[in-house]
Amino acid sequence: MKIKYSLLFILAIILFTALKPFAQTAVVTPSTKAILFKGGIAHLGNGRVIENSLIGIKDGKIILITDAATARIDGSVFDERITITGKHVYPGIIAPSSTIGLNELDAVRATNDFSEVGYINPHVRSLISYNTDSKIIPTIRTNGILLVQASPRGGLISGSSSIMKLDGWNWEDAVLKADDGIHLNWPEMNAPKIIRETDQSYNERVKNYNTSISNVTNFFADAKAYSQIVHDEKNIRFEAMKGIITGEKILYVHTNSLKDIIEVIAFTKKFEIKKYVLVGARDAYLATAILKENNVPVILARVHELPENIDDDVDLPYKRAAELFKAGVLVCLTNEGGMEAMGTRNLPFQAGTTVAYGLTKEEALMLITSNTAKILGIEDRVGVLEENKQATFFISEGDALDMISNNVVKAFIDGKEVELPNEQLQLYNKYKQKYGLK
Amino acid sequence: MKKVLIGVVVLFCRSVIAQETFPVNGTHNKNNTVYAFTNASVYIDYQTKIDKATLIVKNGIVEKVGIGIILPKGAVVVDLAGKYIYPSFIDVYSNYGIADAKPSSAPQPQIESNTKGAFCWNQAVKPETDASKLFVADPQSATEMRKLGFGTALTLQKDGIVRGTSALVSLGDGNENHLMIASNVTANYSFDKGVSGQDYPSSQMGSIALLRQTYYDAQWYALDKTKREKNLSLEALIAQQKMPQIFEAQDKFSVLRADKVGDEFGLQYIIKAGGDEYQRIEEVKNTKAAFILPLNFPMTYDVSDPYDAMMISLDQLKNWEMAPSNPMAFEKAQIPFALTTSDLKDKADFRKNILKAIELGLSEREALKALTYTPANMLGMGNKIGALKDGMIANFIITSTPIFNEKCIIYQNWVQGIQYEIVNYNTIDLRGNYSLLLDQKNYRLKIAGELNAYQTIVSIDTFKYNAKINLNGNNIGISFETKLGAIRLAGALNQKATNGFKGKGQWEDGKWLEWIASYSDSIKTVEKKDTAKVKSEIGKLYFPNMAYGWTDQPKQEIVLIKNVTIWSNESTGIFVGDVLIQNGKIANVAPAIQVIPANVIVIDGSGKHLSPGIVDEHSHIAISNGVNEGAQASTAEVRIGDVVTSDDVNIYRQLSGGVTTSQLLHGSANPIGGQSAIIKLRWGLAPEKMKIEGADGFIKFALGENVKQSNWGPRNVIRFPQTRMGVEQVYYDAFQRAKEYELKWKKYSALSPALKISSAVPRKDIELDALVEILNKKRFITCHSYVQSEINMLMHVADSMGFKVNTFTHILEGYKVADKMKKHGVGASTFSDWWAYKFEVKDAIPYNAALLSQMGVVTAVNSDDAEMARRLNQEASKAVKYGGLSQEDALKLVTLNPAKLLHLDTKIGSIKIGKDADVVLWSDNPLSVYAKVEKTFVDGVCYFDAQQDKKMREQIAVERNRLIQKMIITKKEGAPTQKVIFKKPRLYDCDDLETDNED
Repeated sequence: MKIKYSLLFILAIILFTALKPFAQTAVVTPSTKAILFKGGIAHLGNGRVIENSLIGIKDGKIILITDAATARIDGSVFDERITITGKHVYPGIIAPSSTIGLNELDAVRATNDFSEVGYINPHVRSLISYNTDSKIIPTIRTNGILLVQASPRGGLISGSSSIMKLDGWNWEDAVLKADDGIHLNWPEMNAPKIIRETDQSYNERVKNYNTSISNVTNFFADAKAYSQIVHDEKNIRFEAMKGIITGEKILYVHTNSLKDIIEVIAFTKKFEIKKYVLVGARDAYLATAILKENNVPVILARVHELPENIDDDVDLPYKRAAELFKAGVLVCLTNEGGMEAMGTRNLPFQAGTTVAYGLTKEEALMLITSNTAKILGIEDRVGVLEENKQATFFISEGDALDMISNNVVKAFIDGKEVELPNEQLQLYNKYKQKYGLK
Repeated sequence: MKKVLIGVVVLFCRSVIAQETFPVNGTHNKNNTVYAFTNASVYIDYQTKIDKATLIVKNGIVEKVGIGIILPKGAVVVDLAGKYIYPSFIDVYSNYGIADAKPSSAPQPQIESNTKGAFCWNQAVKPETDASKLFVADPQSATEMRKLGFGTALTLQKDGIVRGTSALVSLGDGNENHLMIASNVTANYSFDKGVSGQDYPSSQMGSIALLRQTYYDAQWYALDKTKREKNLSLEALIAQQKMPQIFEAQDKFSVLRADKVGDEFGLQYIIKAGGDEYQRIEEVKNTKAAFILPLNFPMTYDVSDPYDAMMISLDQLKNWEMAPSNPMAFEKAQIPFALTTSDLKDKADFRKNILKAIELGLSEREALKALTYTPANMLGMGNKIGALKDGMIANFIITSTPIFNEKCIIYQNWVQGIQYEIVNYNTIDLRGNYSLLLDQKNYRLKIAGELNAYQTIVSIDTFKYNAKINLNGNNIGISFETKLGAIRLAGALNQKATNGFKGKGQWEDGKWLEWIASYSDSIKTVEKKDTAKVKSEIGKLYFPNMAYGWTDQPKQEIVLIKNVTIWSNESTGIFVGDVLIQNGKIANVAPAIQVIPANVIVIDGSGKHLSPGIVDEHSHIAISNGVNEGAQASTAEVRIGDVVTSDDVNIYRQLSGGVTTSQLLHGSANPIGGQSAIIKLRWGLAPEKMKIEGADGFIKFALGENVKQSNWGPRNVIRFPQTRMGVEQVYYDAFQRAKEYELKWKKYSALSPALKISSAVPRKDIELDALVEILNKKRFITCHSYVQSEINMLMHVADSMGFKVNTFTHILEGYKVADKMKKHGVGASTFSDWWAYKFEVKDAIPYNAALLSQMGVVTAVNSDDAEMARRLNQEASKAVKYGGLSQEDALKLVTLNPAKLLHLDTKIGSIKIGKDADVVLWSDNPLSVYAKVEKTFVDGVCYFDAQQDKKMREQIAVERNRLIQKMIITKKEGAPTQKVIFKKPRLYDCDDLETDNED
């Protein structure tokens, strides 16, 4: 049972540190080189696998992906040929509804850049807070996450999110899709009462709920009316909402319980919201029929969390994704919650858990790649290994969904190779050196 | 009219019960009337009924009771043929006539007591409180209590941890001098600090420690001859020790905790229970305490909406059904108890609820005993109240039927020989069905409800009208609105309802009419046969009484697991073989076991993996009422072991993740936290039985941002320390004091008995006792820590003060001082990959565990999180990914290594003959994300089985549905309901203060 991974990993580290000691935050200069990767096990992200693949990239795009066993290609068009036999290739993992780049250290207020003052803030844009030099970003990339939806938090309407590549000199060149959608935190009809906590009375909670519902309803009514004509006097909140009314932007509704999900669906019908997505949606597995009927996709709450109710199946959070997937609901995974930014590096393992609880590995991969891309409206560019898609992908020594074998050795964003070592590895090496460890 | 009557009675009483010492305004009005009640069935005590008895009452005292008594001359004779007399009830736990304590409005944090004067240092300790001095009669409450049949109440101010003394008072009207039967009757306690705004204690374990220290202080104060400190609180407490001691506990576990404190000080408390004791009645009986039981049963939930119903958990449903059986459970277990109206939101529910308890099996005899004999004797007042015997206080009630008959009417309640009328027994009972001839039409008249509150319906054809009925002497008035208009009837009764009544009336247009009501039959209560069965069926008690609880606790079995990949954590490494479990131990491990005992259960382990049970060095599950006692820099006196709960579903959830042993740690709010408890996850057993017997004692220390309150908000800038340099001094100071304290005791103990008498006795300090244990290697430190400077510091403090740090927990910068740690001999218990949640963890690296291991530091990976704890195998796996540890060594991070850190590696942590059979059967390599737990054994008992788990889920669904259907029926029958509110169980991590919101 002695394991080879550790050795391989150490080799990989030696390789990397030899190449680029102590420079992990630098951004690699763009390359127009055409590269061919030979022999990798390509997990396309759409459920299919090519055991022995040929993958060609050029000018930031995948120009070739095929089965080496059957295809004949002209290798001479490639400037470089890399053999990756036995290694696994995956589309870059996408982390939706995330605070990566908006948050550095949870408890240090100065580093929290995701929650604006006020209650209804559709006009604030996460893009502006997004820090390409966040120390968290390289640690996330190390495990294969290459894209994030940087999302604001708090209030009733938190603001606009943007989809970012985890590589870039600044937010302008890191952005994949600016202002892709607006985040609405749906009021909770039955907000839980924490046992032993002195809490407001039931009547007060109902009152607050009713107030919040009328606030959100009134705001959408006003925003919709506003969008009908051109105004001399601009209201920047309503201006920001136009994309939601027209369907250019996605409305991300953060909600969890069954009754709230039903309310949200009725609400979106009332206002004829064209594109919306449920975020969290813990109870969505109980509402698959209505979700399918209305084509509502779900960015599902953490797999690695405790059941909400004492009586719930102990593995409920592990198996929700499979239940939604099998019912035909378009579903992907998020790490939204406590300690979310830095914990995002475990997103592939959350997908891995869904394999133990009902999905195949390739289906689980869809939950963090192609399904995510479809839900965020970026499937034309990323999420699968496919010709003409962006060359945003990574190569792992082993199965990337299992922590025992996830070992990313190369990663590319738009065809540019990104650095995988991070400051944490640097510290590790520094102290190993101090102690004379190999 | 009735109000006027009561007014007259009050005036009358006042004049009678004027005090000897009081001057009289006007003429004296002494009334020495003798009353003779004849022909009643008299309960002279809860078990002795005398039919056709005579009761003679004189000057508020029972002069004689029995048969064949000659009526004294000049007595008022009251013929009570067909009626019943009972000793009136005693409420042994009330705050009748005592104003609530006022909350202090001092700004937070409040480090010192706000009580002015020479009292205890802690505001929640106020034994000087004397209820008799606070008591002011409250006619309104007294009237309410008398209606229910009560004549006497023990009353106290229910506030604080040490609450002072109570008074025994009558529930009559009049002045306090007369009403008060006794002062300083009982001494009273609780774990609830009440209105005290002082920070300490902020948790139940803190309350326990405060109470223990207060008792020790009282013992010392009594012996101390120097009296350099005058302490009125301690003097009061010392004076109270011979009284009956009442402890108010809020639930079954607090009951056990209170009794344990009592045991330490040779006190047997009378315990006011919380109402869920039926769930652990065996342990409750073992306290040998007498109990006071509340009757505030949970209200029915409105479950008509199935989505709402999903928010109620099975424990709430089951408690709703079973809580009314609590008194029955006490009776069955032969535990003495009294009943109280305490905790009832609406006192009027008392009668309804006691009848409910009787319906669920409480005997009427025991109910009466619990309201008369038992409370009287608890208070040492059995010769005065609680029975009707010669010379006792004349407190009794006159009723229409046996008292626990559903239709019983209490006519009169006599308190101290004074009559209080509740219902005039000469009142004509109008209840019945009548035919009502009115304006040549035949209506039906139905009079139902209570004697004082009739529910009247007039109906014709399919129309029904609610009517109001007024009875004043023999004048009867009925009014209602018909579709033809409003109508008012007036008439006269003819002695009895069955004779009917008649008179005249007026339509709303002023037209007069004649009417006559003829009695047809009595009101019949409709037997609800269809629902009776559902209602009387009570579900089985689960252990614990919630989802995933056992109806039958699983037992040790003989188990052979064959052909399984064994992760032995021994020199044999990882190999395929057989493991035999017998008598809770690992009986054999071998590539192929040949000798197989009888009755063995064989499990085919082919393709599966068997690992030692996971040990979580840092856990906060199974703790109740606060994980942090953070109000002071050092709280070494508090003990998590005092507040372990077995009702946490996370115990079961973690078994499903392979966890078998957890160290339950105090939080990290202060440099010297509390003592920890080490448990095995023996799901279903009581808290004490989960603790590992003979395990070494540990204590939590903490460093850094939490203890210097960096992230506690702008108000928390007062408590020392606020910097890392202050933290160091807390330790030097504490251990310096501990050394001096130990020396002082050593010197004192060495004195001759004669010298001891003349010398000052050192004060026992339970905080310093814990620190002395550390110095003497009898208690070991697990220290929450992050940055290298502070880790270095504590090792220096330890070296210079002569102790060792056992474990640095969290220790995210351990990699920076791994060499120093190795030299000090301290272990590490870290997170796999947490970082960036606060400033002090910005340099945390996921390679920490691997590097520390490589440096030879005993290293574990812990959870500090109820969710992550059930995936600790995966967290260990990350040390392979980050740092390249071998798989075998990685698994040790969550098994053998934490066992070493807890000094339990001779018993657990590896699969070796003779060790505890704490093993986990996995579907796959336990370090893989794809591995699932199939079985978890603790001490050879299978506490989690994936197949059994499936069955339990079905069982939960069935039981939930049964209870929900029962609630629906109960609602239909008119029970008041409450809206469902989703109660989310509280989870703790290090930083949680009891007053915090979650997160």
